[in-house]
Amino acid sequence: MSRRAKHGFPAQIETDLAIKVEGAHYVYPNGKVIALSEVNLEVKQGELLGVIGQNGSGKTTLTKLLNRLLQPSAGAVYVNGLLTTDRTVQEMSAHIGYVFQNPNHQLFARTVKDELEFGPRNIGTSEDDIAQRVAEAVDFFGLGEYIDEHPYRVSFPIRKLVGIASVITMKPSIIILDEPSTGQDHQTTRVINSLMRRLAEDGTTVICVSHDMPLLADVVERVIVMRNAEIVADATPREVFADSELMLTTNLQAPQITNIALKTVYPLGGPIALTPQELAADIELRLRKGKY
Amino acid sequence: MSMHTAMPTSLIPGTSIIHRIHPVTKILWVVVYVILAFTTQNVIILYGMAVFAILMALLGGVFRPLLKAAYLIVPIGSSLISLQVLAPAVEQPWTPIAEVGFVTLYGDGLYFALVLLGRIVSSMLLSLVMVMTTHPSDLFLAFSKLKIPFTFNFMLAMTLQLIPVFQREVTLVLSAQKSRGMKGSGFSAVLPSFIPVFVGAVERVQQLSISLESRGFGSSGNKTSYRQVVARIQDWIYGVGGVTVMIGLMVYSILQPVWWNLSDIIFFSPQTVLVAFSVSVTVFTSVILGALYISFRKT
Repeated sequence: MSRRAKHGFPAQIETDLAIKVEGAHYVYPNGKVIALSEVNLEVKQGELLGVIGQNGSGKTTLTKLLNRLLQPSAGAVYVNGLLTTDRTVQEMSAHIGYVFQNPNHQLFARTVKDELEFGPRNIGTSEDDIAQRVAEAVDFFGLGEYIDEHPYRVSFPIRKLVGIASVITMKPSIIILDEPSTGQDHQTTRVINSLMRRLAEDGTTVICVSHDMPLLADVVERVIVMRNAEIVADATPREVFADSELMLTTNLQAPQITNIALKTVYPLGGPIALTPQELAADIELRLRKGKY
Repeated sequence: MSMHTAMPTSLIPGTSIIHRIHPVTKILWVVVYVILAFTTQNVIILYGMAVFAILMALLGGVFRPLLKAAYLIVPIGSSLISLQVLAPAVEQPWTPIAEVGFVTLYGDGLYFALVLLGRIVSSMLLSLVMVMTTHPSDLFLAFSKLKIPFTFNFMLAMTLQLIPVFQREVTLVLSAQKSRGMKGSGFSAVLPSFIPVFVGAVERVQQLSISLESRGFGSSGNKTSYRQVVARIQDWIYGVGGVTVMIGLMVYSILQPVWWNLSDIIFFSPQTVLVAFSVSVTVFTSVILGALYISFRKT
């Protein structure tokens, strides 16, 4: 008996949403751990969404439900209007790309070029298209000098970029980035930052799971906060990071710059700064007006 | 979160009576099993040992994981019976019992196949029960007490501890490749999955060796252990009991040689041999064809 028949969810729905999660519940196969509890979520096309929460709060489980690596124990997950449980992971890979935290888990080809071509070939992209996609990715990520290198012979930050590029070349309409900046140097983090912006400009929906609050504060337009298998907050980064109570109860820490702003300029009527540039601009303005 | 492993090759946590038995006693039992299994040709003893191992699995609460390993018995058993009935691994003259076209089937072969299978099944089941109910660190400590060289002991313990780690790694790598549109099974999945797992394993071992050296691995002198295992009176009883049963069975068989090998007592009718052979060949062929289909099916 198919899950669709069991739960009565239609296999496809008419929607403008990129993602629609309806009461998703997930219990690990040992039956003891509830990883997701009645989660509801809607993500619009082209939205830049950040997912934060303590380890074990359900972030990765939620994202793995989206690309069908996991199936909800109850509830439904729609991606581009398609019920994921009616599809295979391979079918979903044409819609939703998943960049794993550790690039070593996905790189295997003999050269960086082969690695970038692997995904598009799997989904039946034409040779001309593949060549164009690879050229674009190489150009954007600055991988030109490594194109014929073995992926394991390049440095870890470059390997990370190869891992991301190997998913980008599949041109999915939704991309999930799992901890993209963890263990990365400043240069790589900057590339990831601009990648997320560019993807959003191109209309790609980006979901970024991260503990890197400054990155999220700088880039995403919406943040969901998870705790104990539930979404406990869903708002703009400014609203989320300004909520000291929420940060405390979820064991999270807002970007340092936001904390500084909250304790200095905010009580004086200044903004809840998310970036150093915002705080600096406010201080400069106040200095000019002679308010300090 | 309790450990959930796909294959029964690592500890299944628990507090059962079997879990609590001293590791040295368990090792002793495995040794007793292997000695007895590879000396006797009495199928009643052999399959009795297998049943005892299953009872231990039930007592230890690891019967379900043990069943996952049982499928290995199907190809081993069917191939053994098929081949032994055609060409027994015993001294000639063989006793022809049936003929299928130009193929002659031998009765001695069926008995000897059952003996070989019994040896494998009984030893395998008990060893798996022991691995599934013993913490690798306790095993490590037990070997230390048995004066097994530290380096060898460490290699064994690390192997057992790394198996579940690699199992998780394989699952993760397969997920990563499936997310890029690759089929998660079949021959085409081997390369994209094998390389990351292999590279990960090498890197892990390199890092582990550096980490071990930096923490004084290889230094001489006595080593202490965080975990402690205490030999209780029950452990002594179980251990001595196991060895006594083995010696008892051996002595009895020496006194009553007919008990050591029942092939002179147990005879199979031509129909039985024919049915056993047909079923084995069918099962074995199906297993091979199934494996080939899975390996080479279009992805």
